[in-house]
Amino acid sequence: MRRWADRIHLAARLLVSVAVLGACGRAGDRQTAASQASGALTVTDDAGHRVTLPAPARRIVSVAPSSTELLFALGAGPQVVGRTTWCKYPPAALAVPVIGDGLNPSLEAVAARRPDLVVLYRSALNEAAAAQLARIGVPALVVKQDRLEDLARAAQLLGVVTGHSSTGDTIAAAIDAVLRTPPPPRHVRLAFVVWDNPPMVIGAGSYLDQIAGLAGGVNVFHDIPAASATVSLETIAARDPQVIAVLDDSTPVGEPAYTARPEWQVVRAVRLRRFVHLPADLFGRPSPRTAEAVAELRRLLEAWR
Amino acid sequence: MRWLGLAGLSVVALTLAVVLGPAHVAWADLGRSPIVRELRIPRALLGFVVGGSLAVSGASLQALMRNPLADPFLLGLSGGAGLGAVAAIALHLGGPWALPLAAFVGALVALALVFRLGLVGGGGGGGAELDPRVLLLGGVAVGAFAGAVMTAIISVSEAAQLRNAFLWLWGGLSGASWYTLLVLCLYVPVPLLVLLAAARPLDVLALGEEPARYLGADVTALKRRVYLAASLLTAAAVAVSGVIGFVGLMVPHLCRGVWGQQHRALLPASFLGGGALLVLADTAARVAVAPRELPVGIVTALIGVPLFALLLRRWTAT
Repeated sequence: MRRWADRIHLAARLLVSVAVLGACGRAGDRQTAASQASGALTVTDDAGHRVTLPAPARRIVSVAPSSTELLFALGAGPQVVGRTTWCKYPPAALAVPVIGDGLNPSLEAVAARRPDLVVLYRSALNEAAAAQLARIGVPALVVKQDRLEDLARAAQLLGVVTGHSSTGDTIAAAIDAVLRTPPPPRHVRLAFVVWDNPPMVIGAGSYLDQIAGLAGGVNVFHDIPAASATVSLETIAARDPQVIAVLDDSTPVGEPAYTARPEWQVVRAVRLRRFVHLPADLFGRPSPRTAEAVAELRRLLEAWR
Repeated sequence: MRWLGLAGLSVVALTLAVVLGPAHVAWADLGRSPIVRELRIPRALLGFVVGGSLAVSGASLQALMRNPLADPFLLGLSGGAGLGAVAAIALHLGGPWALPLAAFVGALVALALVFRLGLVGGGGGGGAELDPRVLLLGGVAVGAFAGAVMTAIISVSEAAQLRNAFLWLWGGLSGASWYTLLVLCLYVPVPLLVLLAAARPLDVLALGEEPARYLGADVTALKRRVYLAASLLTAAAVAVSGVIGFVGLMVPHLCRGVWGQQHRALLPASFLGGGALLVLADTAARVAVAPRELPVGIVTALIGVPLFALLLRRWTAT
């Protein structure tokens, strides 16, 4: 039973790191080759596979909230015919049929939507799924969307395959512009606490670390290369962030439950109830609305500067 | 001499746990720093009590089942506790204590189910007898079922937080505070004393149930008392620290190698040994990959299993 539970645990961790926080992976192949011969196009995805489509995709199944949001932002929303339970933004996406929760996608449920393109986020499980889809004749595109620069590339890649390449270029340029904007001079030291027992924080591998930097914050766990990590409570206390950033899901918004736990009072920001609440809608994944996210966090941090 | 060594080991483990940590605290500040006072000391003491409880519970269950594989979590408690924790998150039970309480209740429900399954004959009334083999099978079955229900809830639910229930379940001692320590110290002595008082009858039970009966032991009552006390002890441990493996399985065997089969010595030695091992493992978990932290159950296995394998070789060589 333990072995079985371990496996589930592993899968759960995988999902936590992949779907919610964004996996950290090696830098993928950055080449995109689009050939425009008789409407057919060929691109290289982030798993390094060449994917050929006879024409821009008309029926797309998106197996990640970040790609669903991106597809709608590109204007390819009407071409999306399948999404995961987690894909809730933009609201128009709610009308699209659900194919599952995106963890270890059911290939039958995906194939039942008769897609001419499946978009998957990059993970070991999904690369295997992409290979299986290719075997049954469904082109699958593996797209890395962990960091903000990944998103710029993803916008261009998905723009090409959906026939919205100029919108893709515009979104990519907007993200690049945000990345180049110098942050406000006076920094606020903050920590993203995403779980309390064991305490989990966001590290440098996450897009949230980037957003914090752009908004004039310094993630006190920037020295951790991973997207997220379990740390000791005393480390949070010793690094003494000025504020703690909390991602608000649909669950009741307010002070996190650990605020009332005695051991958390050692962390000054908790003792003084210094929290900034980040709407999960805007901060829950790397999004084409990055500029908005940066501006919102900048506004929230203004009080502590 | 052996006792002195064990006591020394315990003191060293507790001292290291207070002095070492990922945060730098100067020697002069050890007495004043809130990091030491509010985090390290309660965490070290809580780890000691949890490790000791798990080891005593494991030693007693191994005697009761007459099975060297018996472990505090073998009898479905981890599944029950996990289901409780997941239910607490899925139902949005608020409050800082919802998770440990729900895990405790889940463990108790699993315990009651396994106990009822384990009662054989007499229609569940006064004449029923606790059958260790049925208890074992029932425990594995209830644990597997609870685990399946938990995974089903997680698969169909949309709360991202639910996945973190696993992190908590395999978590460790992050939730330690003076308050949790106080609650545990009010609760633990009762089942612990019940088990220590059963030391002599457990020695007799090792001869087999029939011989034990001839020697005048009330085997029926003894088995119930030991099972319930050991499980209640484990349920409390799981509520404050999640599922920590290997301590309850290995420490009793290690102690048997030194102290022999007499439970009067084995149970206290297991308490000290389990406490020291868990505190050492937790210190390593906090320090080894700082600023990150390892799950303590992984460290108990990394420290304990090679030690265990070494002793196993030595015992089987003779």
